[in-house]
Amino acid sequence: MVATTGLTPAQTKPSARPNPTRIQDGRGYRVFKVFNVLILLGVVVLTLYPFINLLAQSFSSETAIAAGHVDLIPKGFNITTYKTVMGDPTFWENYRNTVEYTVVATAISMVLTTCYAYVLSKRNLKGRGFLMAVAIFTMFFNGGLIPNYVLVNDLGLRNSLWAIVLPNAISVFNLLVMKTFFENLPSELEEAAAVDGLTTYGILARIVLPLSKAVLATMVLFYAVSFWNSWFSAFLYMDRSDLFPVTVYLRNMIAGATSGTNEGASGEQALQVAANIQAVTIVLTVVPILTVYPFIQRYFVSGVMLGAVKG
Amino acid sequence: MENLSRRRFLALTGGGATALALAGCTTHTPGSTPTDTALSGNEVGAMTDYTASTAFKATEPLDFPIAILSNPSYPYNGSWPFFNDLKKMTNVSLNATVIPLSDYNTKIGTMIGAGDAPLIIPKTYHPAEDAFISSGAILPVSEYLDLMPNFTQTVSEWNLGGDLDQLRAADGKFYLLPGLHQQVWQDYSIAIRADIFKQLNIPTPKTWDDVTSALRALKNAYPNNYPISDRWSTATSGQAGPGANSLLAILGAAYGTQAGWNYQHATWDSKTSQFVYTGAMDEYRQMCQFLYTWVNDKLMDPQSFTQSDAQAEQTFANSQSFVISANAQEVVNTYEKDLSGTQGAQVVKIPVPTGPMGATILGSRLENGVMISSSALKSKNFVAMMQFVDWLFYSPTGKMFAKWGVKGTTYSGSIDNGSFKLEPDVTWAGVNPTGTKNLQVDFGFFNGVFAYGGSTELLNTQFPPAELTFQKAMDTRKVLPLPPPAPLSAQDQQQTTLWATTLLDYVNQMTLKFILGQRPLSQWDDYVNELKGMNSAQYVSIVNKSYAAYKKAHG
Repeated sequence: MVATTGLTPAQTKPSARPNPTRIQDGRGYRVFKVFNVLILLGVVVLTLYPFINLLAQSFSSETAIAAGHVDLIPKGFNITTYKTVMGDPTFWENYRNTVEYTVVATAISMVLTTCYAYVLSKRNLKGRGFLMAVAIFTMFFNGGLIPNYVLVNDLGLRNSLWAIVLPNAISVFNLLVMKTFFENLPSELEEAAAVDGLTTYGILARIVLPLSKAVLATMVLFYAVSFWNSWFSAFLYMDRSDLFPVTVYLRNMIAGATSGTNEGASGEQALQVAANIQAVTIVLTVVPILTVYPFIQRYFVSGVMLGAVKG
Repeated sequence: MENLSRRRFLALTGGGATALALAGCTTHTPGSTPTDTALSGNEVGAMTDYTASTAFKATEPLDFPIAILSNPSYPYNGSWPFFNDLKKMTNVSLNATVIPLSDYNTKIGTMIGAGDAPLIIPKTYHPAEDAFISSGAILPVSEYLDLMPNFTQTVSEWNLGGDLDQLRAADGKFYLLPGLHQQVWQDYSIAIRADIFKQLNIPTPKTWDDVTSALRALKNAYPNNYPISDRWSTATSGQAGPGANSLLAILGAAYGTQAGWNYQHATWDSKTSQFVYTGAMDEYRQMCQFLYTWVNDKLMDPQSFTQSDAQAEQTFANSQSFVISANAQEVVNTYEKDLSGTQGAQVVKIPVPTGPMGATILGSRLENGVMISSSALKSKNFVAMMQFVDWLFYSPTGKMFAKWGVKGTTYSGSIDNGSFKLEPDVTWAGVNPTGTKNLQVDFGFFNGVFAYGGSTELLNTQFPPAELTFQKAMDTRKVLPLPPPAPLSAQDQQQTTLWATTLLDYVNQMTLKFILGQRPLSQWDDYVNELKGMNSAQYVSIVNKSYAAYKKAHG
């Protein structure tokens, strides 16, 4: 195994060192800052308001919600709904599935995407254009619903974790982001490592990945959030309710709130699922993935690469 | 779908070859019908002496794949006593593909398209099965009715032949085993705040004109409110309407046309014995005119046609409106519940007000039903499966079991003498509120997948007294004959579907404009001409042609 030779021209490294002397902001800039803050505050309100409203609903009584009295503060405080939903074994079973699917799927996706992206970032790789084309092709074309179903079915993946994990393992968008990131790593680092005797895998594991924590963290987050929120493949490929992720449970519950409105004389008692049960379920589903953000955020540090190459 | 034609072709030819092979292997026994002969290899587990008066029990343990809709109010549970008791009684266990209610049709469509559907596919609403006919993926069940004595007996006793004709495809067969009702069951009407009506001395409306006077009286008493702010305006399922789709449906029926979520492009005109385009009927215009008056006189909230159900319910719950569209279950579960904090509030669903059509009712006595996958024909248990479906969905015992469970466990008494009641610890839809066990959640009975249709006595057991009064009033109405069948050929179907979307959008849009007064009704003739420009005349002529062809071919 021969290490890649650094025949490609060295990348220009970014120099973004902040100026140590503080300069008084210009008038225009101060005006900009005021507007900037106002607009961003508006965005914060827009995004937070529905969530807080939902939180308030989850602690409110059904009658108060129906009468439209719940805004930001719970009315008719009650936590019985939380107790009921949390006492539903199916909810927890599906919740456990979601966690399981997300963890496994994210791990597999990360391994595959990283390997693929790293390979694609090597400009001297033979067949790189073809490998790129294969990936890009799937961004624009896919087999369609029924052929996909037939494929997964014939591979015997139905009712297994793999039906969710494998078809979605590589997101081309994430792949491209990672590839660009790897391309921007200074090739001198890898050359130096090769000179010191590391193999390709050694370079990837010991040099490249430790320097790529920022992009890795971002990708983990992207993948985890998308797998956490996804429901369609699980809905399509799972035939037993004990295999559903919690998103399918949630979606069904929200649909139940409107299904009483079907036309015609149906004997079905599609009882409406109360608004606060929906709110509680949504809150319980959203909170865990929200709490992941702060932990990953510390990896979003800019300038990890600064000063890595002294020349 | 294109990609699959080869696969389907293979599945079909495979199925056909098997059927042929089976037919070839058997010797013809005198006296038996051709179907019997062809199926002699599929009789494993079937009863030889199964009739309408026998209880079905498979001669050996069987397992049938079935699609089960999981309703969020009673999510599917494989350990429900329903399944255990069923197994004990019939020797049949069900191998369930559990599908959430939210996307039931998507998954069924995909599975059938992929040639991988469960053999029994319940909860199919006509005409959803039409989409699968041309691919041959579902069984023309009308060809196998000799295996289903309960079904055939019910159809002849309740005289449902005409209703069933509505299901027939152009080949004269039907592909869906529908739920059968003894009488036309009208559930949707309007609900009024009876306490406010009483307080203002407004009589309960009997006709739509009475409703108008009642709204005027309410408007006088509460000038700042719209007396009616309606709902069912957002398309959640089925086809989109102009808004206030339930109100339009019952009002349309009162005028002798079809509107709202009952809108069909072609309506049968019994006077001229042909189909006419619904959106261009003069009755349709009168209906728009009627609602225009309501909106124009500020009796009806113009938001009625666009707002969400929740908004309409909220207005009603806050006593800002006094009339709203309703069905039995919404009255109990939503309106009465939401108004429980309001002193003296009383909500009554009134018998559907009558219009120019008089005290009549038009409706089908069929409900959603069961499709059978064509691959069932390949199963050696096919006959047993059809007998099982017949017993569970169509025999009085099977129906009673699916709806109310087991005597002595979940209920006592009998429906014949009116002594039926749920056991005290079993709760269901507000009956026995203190009961600890829920009939649906804990037992799996009264599941919409299995329990529907049935005799009037059976249906009446599920109604609270208020609803029984409503049903009694509705039962006195004269039932109008259903339109004759006019099934379209696959090609015509495709052609009309292309026109239908544009037409429906335009009719909806213009209906709303006429009602809201954004387009004066004096332009009605222009509108009818615009519809013609969108092929409304060709649409109706295809339907009339199909009607004539069907009449000629199948009488």
